[in-house]
Amino acid sequence: MKRDVHFILNGKPVTFSVEPRTTLLRALREYGVTSVKRGCEEGECGTCTVVIDDLAQKSCMVLALEAEGKSVLTVEGLVGPKGELHPIQQAFVDEGAIQCGFCTPGMIMSAYAFLRKTPDPTEEEIRVALAGNLCRCTGYIPIFRAVHKAAAVMRELGHIPGRAR
Amino acid sequence: MLAFEMERPRSLASAAEILEKHGSQAMVKAGGTDVLVWMRKHAVHPEVLVDLSEIPELKGISFYPHRGIKIGALATVNETAENEDVKRCYPALRDACLSHSDVLIRNKATVLGNICASVPSGDLIPAFAVHEAVLHVFGPGGERDIFFSDFITGPRKNSLMPGEIVVSATLPFPGERSAGCYLKLARRNALDLAQVGVACLAVDGEAGRTYRIACGAVAPRPVRATGAEKILEGVTAPGDDLLDRAGKAAAEASNPITDVRASREYRLSMVDELTKRAVALCAERLQGGRAS
Ligand SMILES: Cc1cc2nc3c(=O)[nH]c(=O)nc-3n(C[C@H](O)[C@H](O)[C@H](O)COP(=O)(O)OP(=O)(O)OC[C@H]3O[C@@H](n4cnc5c(N)ncnc54)[C@H](O)[C@@H]3O)c2cc1C
Ligand code: FES
Ligand code: FES
Repeated sequence: MKRDVHFILNGKPVTFSVEPRTTLLRALREYGVTSVKRGCEEGECGTCTVVIDDLAQKSCMVLALEAEGKSVLTVEGLVGPKGELHPIQQAFVDEGAIQCGFCTPGMIMSAYAFLRKTPDPTEEEIRVALAGNLCRCTGYIPIFRAVHKAAAVMRELGHIPGRAR
Repeated sequence: MLAFEMERPRSLASAAEILEKHGSQAMVKAGGTDVLVWMRKHAVHPEVLVDLSEIPELKGISFYPHRGIKIGALATVNETAENEDVKRCYPALRDACLSHSDVLIRNKATVLGNICASVPSGDLIPAFAVHEAVLHVFGPGGERDIFFSDFITGPRKNSLMPGEIVVSATLPFPGERSAGCYLKLARRNALDLAQVGVACLAVDGEAGRTYRIACGAVAPRPVRATGAEKILEGVTAPGDDLLDRAGKAAAEASNPITDVRASREYRLSMVDELTKRAVALCAERLQGGRAS
């Protein structure tokens, strides 16, 4: 039996009609939010990562009905009104941290939630924060570099950590 | 995943009512990181999933001086790891939390869900064993307490009666001068289940030094290595001989299986090794005069 779930998606209120067994991952994709990638659907790979009420979550491990009343952020929500990339996205482009791109939206959302809490991270902290996001292409090193760079840019821009642009 | 209905009760009483109404067709969900995977693999097929996540009585962690810390059923693994009182007084629990899955899953998975799943490799289990936790349960028969040592009865089996919900667990205060740790062996650092996990708690009480040691993933039920604990009792700086004997005793208390993650023989020799390391680490920390 389908039921309505109401939540804030990238700053706008939305209503989805879903079955109880529908995961947030599948619901988002069905409604056109295709940055959220369907990888393992078992919580292992991190390609489905979104930020819910400030916490990075694997959306295949969340039932869509659980999003009721919450705020959900995907990589689409990081892009500015004129299509400007967020500093984390720009750093991924600049540092060659994207090859096939399948892991990228999830990586960026993990990095986003992490940098809000840890604006000046160490290499070790970055590695731990991204341990739940797998990448089969880049060998991770350019990704860690990109997160370092994004952190520096965000500090310089005086981004209040925690504020979606 | 097969279709099911979902209930999201707002109080413990209403959750209990729903569970009573649907009987064996209902299943409880906290974080859901086990339940969702099991449903996907068709290992379980509840008709009604009772989501506890909107029940205020189940939230939070509170510390009561001299008595201990109470962990609510909805406290996530990350919330617990980051709790200041856990950092100060329950390092074995904190280590266990930080060894669990990855940062993202830990935002969803609950500590008590890990205990209730009762899987032998559950990372929180050895810490609950050495802290001699007490589970507070609510169900059709009212409230009751279950000692952790009586809780897990076998792989994925525990002593909860139908319709019962674990509301919270208390880990008694270990004492001002205590040290603890949890050492986990796995094939990789993140996102892997334990091949062997050993928790140790050393306490300097009125009667001198005591040790508590528990081993995970090495038997159908959690193992308290009481033989090893006796060997070490009263010794503040155990030497290699004593550590060797304690390690052997912990291995004797274990009865592991061979599976995809490790063979029985490897697990036995790793229980021995990790026990030695965990005890030495706790003794060293207390030697430094610092409780941690
Ligand atoms: C990718 C991934 C990695 C993982 N890595 C690890 C790991 O490293 N170490 C580890 O130990 N586990 C791991 N797990 C397993 C799982 O995350 C943990 O066991 C978790 O702590 C379970 O908590 P939960 O809140 O998600 O439980 P749920 O899935 O909600 O519930 C688990 C079980 O407990 C019951 N239950 C839950 N709460 C209650 C309650 N209050 N009263 C009565 N019954 C209850 C449920 O009915 C169910 O049977 C992993 C899982 C995934 C998906
Ligand atoms: S699809 Fe969610 S973690 Fe792999
Ligand atoms: S860029 Fe291909 S998986 Fe990471």
